[in-house]
Amino acid sequence: MPDDIRIGVFVCDCGTNIAGVLNVPELVAYARTLKHVVLADEGKWSCSVDYLGRMQDLIREQRINRVVVASCTPRTHEPLFKRATREAGLNPYLLEFVSIREQVSWVHMREPRAATEKAKDLIKMGVAKAALLEEGEEIRLPVQTDCLIIGGGVAGMNAALSVAAQGFRAHLVEKEARLGGMLNRLCFLSHDRRRMPAARIVETLAARVAVHPNIRVYTGTQVESVQGYIGNYKVALKANGAGAAATVGISTIIVATGMREIEPVGQFEYGCDPRVMTQLQLEAALRNRALGAVSSVVMIGCVNSKNDTRGCCNIGCHVAVKNAVAIKTLHPEADVFILYRDMSLVREEGEAQKRAKQMGVKFLRFPEQRYPEVRTEDGWLRVKVYDLLAGREFEIPADRLVLTTALRGDESVEQVKGLLKVSANADGFFQEAHVKLGPLEFASHGVSLAGCAKAPMFFKESCEAGIGAAMKASIPMKRGYIETEGIVADIDLTACSQCGLCAKRCPYNAIRVDAEQNPAVIKALCKGCGLCAADCPNECIGIVHYTDAQVLAQVDAALEEDPGRKIIAFVCHWCALGGVDMAGVSRLQYPPNARLIRVMCSARVSIKMMRRAFESGAAGVLVAGCEFPTCHYIQGNYAAETRVKRAKKQLARAGFDPEKLWNVWCSAADGPKFASTMRTMARELKLES
Amino acid sequence: MTDAILVIGGGIAGINCAMNAAKYGAKVYLVDDTPSIGGMMARLDKTFPTNDCSICIEAPQMYEVDNHERIEILTNAEVRRVQAGGGIFKIRLLQKPKFVDESKCTGCGACVEACPVSLPDPLDGKIGGRRKLISMAFPQAVPNKVAIDPRCRSGAMRAAGACVGGCAVDCSQCRECPIALCVKACEKEGKKAVTLWQANRNIDIEVKSIVVATGIRNAPPAGDLLGYDRYPNVITNTEFERLMNAGGPTAGHIVRPSDQQPAHRIVWVQCAGRGLGPGRGTPYCSKVCCMIATKQAIIAKEHDSSIEAAIFYNDLKAYGKGFWDFHRKALENGVRFVRARPYVVSEDPVTHNLTVRYEHLDTGELRQQAADLLVLSTGLIPGDRNERLAKVLKIELDHLGFFKERDPILAPLETAVEGIYLCGGATGPIDIAESVTQATAAAMKAVLKN
Ligand SMILES: Cc1cc2nc3c(=O)[nH]c(=O)nc-3n(C[C@H](O)[C@H](O)[C@H](O)COP(=O)(O)OP(=O)(O)OC[C@H]3O[C@@H](n4cnc5c(N)ncnc54)[C@H](O)[C@@H]3O)c2cc1C
Ligand SMILES: Cc1cc2nc3c(=O)[nH]c(=O)nc-3n(C[C@H](O)[C@H](O)[C@H](O)COP(=O)(O)OP(=O)(O)OC[C@H]3O[C@@H](n4cnc5c(N)ncnc54)[C@H](O)[C@@H]3O)c2cc1C
Ligand code: SF4
Repeated sequence: MPDDIRIGVFVCDCGTNIAGVLNVPELVAYARTLKHVVLADEGKWSCSVDYLGRMQDLIREQRINRVVVASCTPRTHEPLFKRATREAGLNPYLLEFVSIREQVSWVHMREPRAATEKAKDLIKMGVAKAALLEEGEEIRLPVQTDCLIIGGGVAGMNAALSVAAQGFRAHLVEKEARLGGMLNRLCFLSHDRRRMPAARIVETLAARVAVHPNIRVYTGTQVESVQGYIGNYKVALKANGAGAAATVGISTIIVATGMREIEPVGQFEYGCDPRVMTQLQLEAALRNRALGAVSSVVMIGCVNSKNDTRGCCNIGCHVAVKNAVAIKTLHPEADVFILYRDMSLVREEGEAQKRAKQMGVKFLRFPEQRYPEVRTEDGWLRVKVYDLLAGREFEIPADRLVLTTALRGDESVEQVKGLLKVSANADGFFQEAHVKLGPLEFASHGVSLAGCAKAPMFFKESCEAGIGAAMKASIPMKRGYIETEGIVADIDLTACSQCGLCAKRCPYNAIRVDAEQNPAVIKALCKGCGLCAADCPNECIGIVHYTDAQVLAQVDAALEEDPGRKIIAFVCHWCALGGVDMAGVSRLQYPPNARLIRVMCSARVSIKMMRRAFESGAAGVLVAGCEFPTCHYIQGNYAAETRVKRAKKQLARAGFDPEKLWNVWCSAADGPKFASTMRTMARELKLES
Repeated sequence: MTDAILVIGGGIAGINCAMNAAKYGAKVYLVDDTPSIGGMMARLDKTFPTNDCSICIEAPQMYEVDNHERIEILTNAEVRRVQAGGGIFKIRLLQKPKFVDESKCTGCGACVEACPVSLPDPLDGKIGGRRKLISMAFPQAVPNKVAIDPRCRSGAMRAAGACVGGCAVDCSQCRECPIALCVKACEKEGKKAVTLWQANRNIDIEVKSIVVATGIRNAPPAGDLLGYDRYPNVITNTEFERLMNAGGPTAGHIVRPSDQQPAHRIVWVQCAGRGLGPGRGTPYCSKVCCMIATKQAIIAKEHDSSIEAAIFYNDLKAYGKGFWDFHRKALENGVRFVRARPYVVSEDPVTHNLTVRYEHLDTGELRQQAADLLVLSTGLIPGDRNERLAKVLKIELDHLGFFKERDPILAPLETAVEGIYLCGGATGPIDIAESVTQATAAAMKAVLKN
């Protein structure tokens, strides 16, 4: 560490927003008394262009090498001050942000004295951490332009076309003999009011794929092994029946392995009577004109769907209506019945049902608890169904029974899961990175997800997902690298016992264990949550900008004076701090006992940190993270919750009152929750004055 | 040749489209005609099927686009003229004034406090939301700046108590204002950000492609639907969403508009107005309302497990991944799903309690149900500015008023004009994950266009 640490502290008035409550000149004077501080300055509006200019001049003139800004909130203003720091010629990781508006002046408006004291502590904590800050840098990992696409259905083909259009190389791997996937087995595809032969769609797409010079198609081929990570994969491809696999260098991967029907063997006479078939088998029969003469066709919906283990198949009702119409068109005289639970038709799909009704297709709703029953008698399939609307049971004689069955992921999913170290649900559908905002990616960087491999969906949605997944894969290929913020894990192997826990716990697969069992962080994949660091039994992992030493320095600084009246609150940068800020914006008043320490994720907070606070005499400790199920690092808050439970036991053993360790899971909209937690804590810890 | 892209609409679709295109390397103009980006998601409380808090997941993305060096956000701006030729679009945007100098405003709120007029919020009015004539769209707004209601300046708000608008000369003639309290408050803070004399601004840009991401809106209940116009305790699902939002007008307390007392019996009416004919109800299924009601009922029960929640529905649409489990979670938490079609609602004039008369769809029986609060799922309809925008862009709307794809099967998200693409609610009713998927695909198409 350089011995000459020169810290500059810039305290903001925010007009009267801060200065109207806090005694800012007193804060500035106080800051000057702190170790390493060579300059403290008051700014009326620190974020104004004028003041930023002054700040930069002062940094240069006074050779400041650590900056503390005490103002509003890092959630909105940190990028601005980071930029200013960089422009002043300093490494932006040498900036520490202290929040004295949202965390102090706006929430303790009626207690200016106590508020000023709290702000002093926060500044002292910021300075203590700043003294230990080290330079950081964005980390880059080179990425070339070869993309592997697993699955040659419409999602995979669309992805390949988009990737290839940029001049990148698409390796499209399909285990069947030809491209097209599910569409090769369908008759007509319908969307809105349009219908198109499935074969024609496949032909059109496959022709575009075939002529593209940048697409290499490997049909009848499977992926045998995958090694490495984004920018750096070695993938072995093996043609069916071939002896040896060929290895290709790959930078990004798109998974587009599609879906399958679950055959309802043994149910509704399926497998016993050839006239009982699935929708997909019906499609094949229609496609090959092999349905034969029919006089009465019954379709049963939700077969093995919408029960204890499985949800809606998403497409079945639409397919049933489409195929009922197709049969009615071929055999106008035949009776066609659709037995259903709920017609899950959205947007204008209801129009198709209306048309089907006009053509004479009959719709009967049966109750969830009472599925139709089927038996064969005098050459007929006899379907007994309880019609909810009529309130009674009917028996329908049929010569074809079509089952709208549930769907699941491809049978190769287990293998692909293992190869790529990604997860899938019980039905073999892959787990996307974020249900709302990350539908096209996996948590592991570099692998995207397209089409029905995620969940059953319609053709158009699969195509869109294919194109979208191509975008996700193309961004790093276009830039030539991926980049992460410098807040990453760093393992010091000297104390490492090679337990491998960190590699197991990392939600991003960013820690790999080598042949000697030594863990290593692939920095470009690390998101800096700190889960590994807090769990490492030997404390050998540091997180840049949130090292143990830095956080403990904040704890110590906060508790230097009068610790018995203070609460140490570890707050995650995302939702919990959002809740804190929301309480601020809403001017919710709460007692000023807490000293907040920001961490990126609540999972960063180690038991040692909690314990240190108690050892230094803190009245209480709070760990605050995102409200379940939200977490910006997938499941960090869940890890934090278990850790807090463990910490309570350890604290009790060490003679501390475990009831003084609190946690709150708070959404970014929930200012009231954070404020009330503060009030309750102050009351129960008997800190109210 | 420019590689810039124009994204029209700053909801979750527009944000994701802009973000992906910018990360790819394109310059992006992200335009919204309201004072902040964020769209519908910024108003929501939680999101189905995981109950992730909406603003918690959206705000970080809003800050990210705001701080991205290749993204320029233009709010309060609309597309006025588009000239296509030579593979590019020459575009004139009109930015309407917020009457606030964005380079000076720090969003401190002193002006809002000073403003003497607080009126029912145009969106949250029925559930007690109020808004000053100068205000921030919502606390996490991007840009985090205030804007003045233009009616204030024109004098239209004098009767409501506005301090300005009564001068002989128009505000555009002055360069300072001794009258306006917001101007004074801002000056007292040491800034001069409130500028009542601000004028329209024309912005000319050139782009190679355009993505339309103008979203959806909630259908207003037409013609006193189920007593909406007459009874204070009949509200829409969007209003309920605000009611349960900790950042909404009631700080998340689920209370009745009539008396601010906690609502104990809540009934959701799905497909409200369907089948009542043109102009009365949404004629198609809006896809997401079943899950919205399910979510709202779950959250209501989480607030207070003694709440009786019933959802009156036709056909349950649990079409997406995890949606069925979500429905079952509601059942486990005691939410009742009733196949029912309400035909009339009446109110006790003293208590404002409601009685819903309905037909039970499984049995055909006529029954009734008492309720403290009735929530109408009126459906999602096209944006009210779609028609104008379509004309300017020279693209078509479909028969429902959503933007039309030229070939949804072989060329998804493309319009009849090469270089103009669609995503999100602009294409029809849709959920968030699908919006994000389309937005990412539209970004791919937009950067690929040459
Ligand atoms: C009966 C039925 C009727 C339908 N009707 C309609 C309709 O009318 N309208 C509509 O819009 N949609 C319809 N669909 C849905 C439509 O078929 C799908 O949306 C679409 O085909 C999915 O495309 P995909 O590429 O995602 O998956 P798939 O088509 O399943 O393609 C996946 C491909 O990946 C290959 N693959 C899997 N694993 C591997 C591996 N490990 N290595 C190599 N290759 C692998 C598979 O062999 C397959 O070719 C219907 C579906 C069914 C079942
Ligand atoms: C009450 C309610 C609850 C919901 N709950 C959920 C949920 O829990 N989970 C879920 O997945 N989905 C939910 N949804 C659906 C979700 O809101 C939409 O999927 C999503 O908002 C669509 O995003 P968007 O960006 O396409 O449109 P929007 O969010 O509508 O954004 C469109 C933006 O474009 C702007 N704009 C419009 N016209 C123009 C123009 N001409 N020029 C410039 N700008 C323009 C608008 O101002 C707006 O900012 C809910 C919807 C409602 C109504
Ligand atoms: S907004 Fe933040 S940086 Fe700007 S003046 Fe206020 S406190 Fe200072």
